[in-house]
Amino acid sequence: MSDQIQEKLKNYRTAPFDARFPNTNQTRNCFQNYLDFHRCNKALSAKDQDTAPCQWYQRVYKSLCPISWVQKWDDQLEAGNFPGKI
Amino acid sequence: MPSMLQVVGKQLKSHPALVPLFIFIGGGAAMSMVYLARLALKNPDVSWDRKNNPEPWNKLEPTQQYKLFTINMDYSKLKKDRPDF
Repeated sequence: MSDQIQEKLKNYRTAPFDARFPNTNQTRNCFQNYLDFHRCNKALSAKDQDTAPCQWYQRVYKSLCPISWVQKWDDQLEAGNFPGKI
Repeated sequence: MPSMLQVVGKQLKSHPALVPLFIFIGGGAAMSMVYLARLALKNPDVSWDRKNNPEPWNKLEPTQQYKLFTINMDYSKLKKDRPDF
């Protein structure tokens, strides 16, 4: 399973098509991957597993999201007032 | 309300050529209502009950299509490519 992830991370070019977000407005796609990255980290480190598969979500949101949004959310996470549920 | 229908019925009997008008207008109104109902009930961006159904778009399978018409997009060939956690 982790070999597949390593393979996919190595061949990563850009965010693939996501059937959950088929329209032009990809805002929710960006936010969902940001949330999934942090949820994945939290879930896998709670189970004491390697969080390497979570890198997929980070690559996707870095491809999709404007840098200013990512910086704003990172600052909010550090300050503890991030509005999403992680 | 019923008296309005009787008035319209009498007018239709004397001008039967108006019947197709009613058919087309009624059909258009019905299609609009059906589309609004589809949006309200089936759209994965809509959540009526935020406590029990917080992120309904996550319930879509990778091969499931919501859009009515997709050109150049074969949903059956897509696979799930996100890692589980």
